[in-house]
Amino acid sequence: MLVSFLDSVKYVGHLVPISFLRIFLGYYYLQSAMMKYTSDFLNKPKIAETISEFLPLSQAPEWYKVIVTAQMIPQWQILAFLITGFEFAIAISYLIGYVVRPVAVLGVLLSLNMIFIMGPAYEDLNKTFLALHFVMAWIGAGRCLGIDYYFYKRRRGLWW
Amino acid sequence: MQHFIIFIFSIFFVLVLSFFNRKTVVDEAQKTLRVYGYSSFTSKLGPGFELKKKFESICNCKVEFVEAADSGVLLQRIKLEGATLGADLVIGLDQYDLQKALSEINWRKLDFSQLDIDEIIRPALSNSYFVPFDWGVIAFVGRKEDPLPAPKSLKDLTKSIYKNKIALMDPRTSSPGMQFLSWVYDSMGKDEGEKYLEQIMNQAHSFSPSWSTAYGFFSKRQVSYVLSYLTSPLYHQLIEHNNSIEAFTFTEKHPIQFEFAGIPLDCKECSLAEEFINLMLSDEGQKIIMNKNFMFPVIKSALVGTPFEPLAKFNHLAQFKIPSVSDVDFLIKSWTSIRRGEKNAK
Repeated sequence: MLVSFLDSVKYVGHLVPISFLRIFLGYYYLQSAMMKYTSDFLNKPKIAETISEFLPLSQAPEWYKVIVTAQMIPQWQILAFLITGFEFAIAISYLIGYVVRPVAVLGVLLSLNMIFIMGPAYEDLNKTFLALHFVMAWIGAGRCLGIDYYFYKRRRGLWW
Repeated sequence: MQHFIIFIFSIFFVLVLSFFNRKTVVDEAQKTLRVYGYSSFTSKLGPGFELKKKFESICNCKVEFVEAADSGVLLQRIKLEGATLGADLVIGLDQYDLQKALSEINWRKLDFSQLDIDEIIRPALSNSYFVPFDWGVIAFVGRKEDPLPAPKSLKDLTKSIYKNKIALMDPRTSSPGMQFLSWVYDSMGKDEGEKYLEQIMNQAHSFSPSWSTAYGFFSKRQVSYVLSYLTSPLYHQLIEHNNSIEAFTFTEKHPIQFEFAGIPLDCKECSLAEEFINLMLSDEGQKIIMNKNFMFPVIKSALVGTPFEPLAKFNHLAQFKIPSVSDVDFLIKSWTSIRRGEKNAK
């Protein structure tokens, strides 16, 4: 696995800059997830408060607002867990380059939701992240400097 | 696919496991009282900070303030969050918010009819759900050294000498602004009131979204007069040792603004919320509110011997009423249409 990790630089070296971006994003998400885990994000309804403050101003479609109001706000604790868990998943996946493609699709969905629920201050940031995750998924950024190359060599396919 | 599912499952498994492991370490014994209020009440400079410190020292609990920009946003949040998050106490609604609050949210009944209060306050206690914790008299404020003659009535404000010298507030976002609008209609009637508002649209320097913005214009001498409170000059006297600010008595009776607290029916720490209200209405709590908010206390004893006492005897007051939702809607709609019709909008 280590050999293929180093091999990846040789065979898909043109992806090295993207890998740096991937690792940087992974580090960012790790920090964000750790902050959520160590603060009271999982214990207190901060996320529900944020949503209820900004949802009326959000440009989200009405059906989405209905779902958020009826499902997400009452079940804020599950939502907080999902957000933190997905952020950890994105962080670890991007840092070690494992299952980057499907995790990046998850990142696209996460960013898309965040655009609507986190308020105008984070809207541009999440739009940028959405584009970055999309690029990661498209390229398969785990193939360079990542474990994905090991599996890609052996199994090929869409997942790596 | 298999790798992905196992990966995600492992992440969540570890997260849940570590969360529950961590939770046993956290002290869960302390209850948390969630108080929703406007930012100038809950900030470090407002009375909320001192009240919180005082309450936490006696209740073996934590007080968590949740801020909102204005009462409209406050009500919206409570409505959306409902029972899930549990606002335990709501602070800072005024008489124009009460009927809307009652129609949109269920509130716990409160009985504070035995309070030792002035007769002025009595009408504000007529409802069963909200208790007033301070009050103020709306008045225009200016400087004694100003070369212009002091305005003596609302009508005077439309004189050409005051053009662009008065800072007002937008009633859609500011409660003193709403008080002004209601003051105009109550003292002049509908038709004359509308004509007056059309004139004042051209006359005023600005219609700020909040009292603090408008008062900023006055403090920076960009305007000579500002809609504020009878007690505003006291702030300058006591804090800045500046005696040059005065509030004007108008021929029209001045409106009174009350600030109320209420407990939503969905509260989780309802008894703590009642205790917090009791603290706010205690002699000590009332003095904190009076000295930080520069508003009159509702409890008689808190006023005695303070610089606020002589001002509280001001008796040229309009009758207090709690307007209905349709009354408030009428005022807002009327303001909006007059404002839209304004050619040179400021």
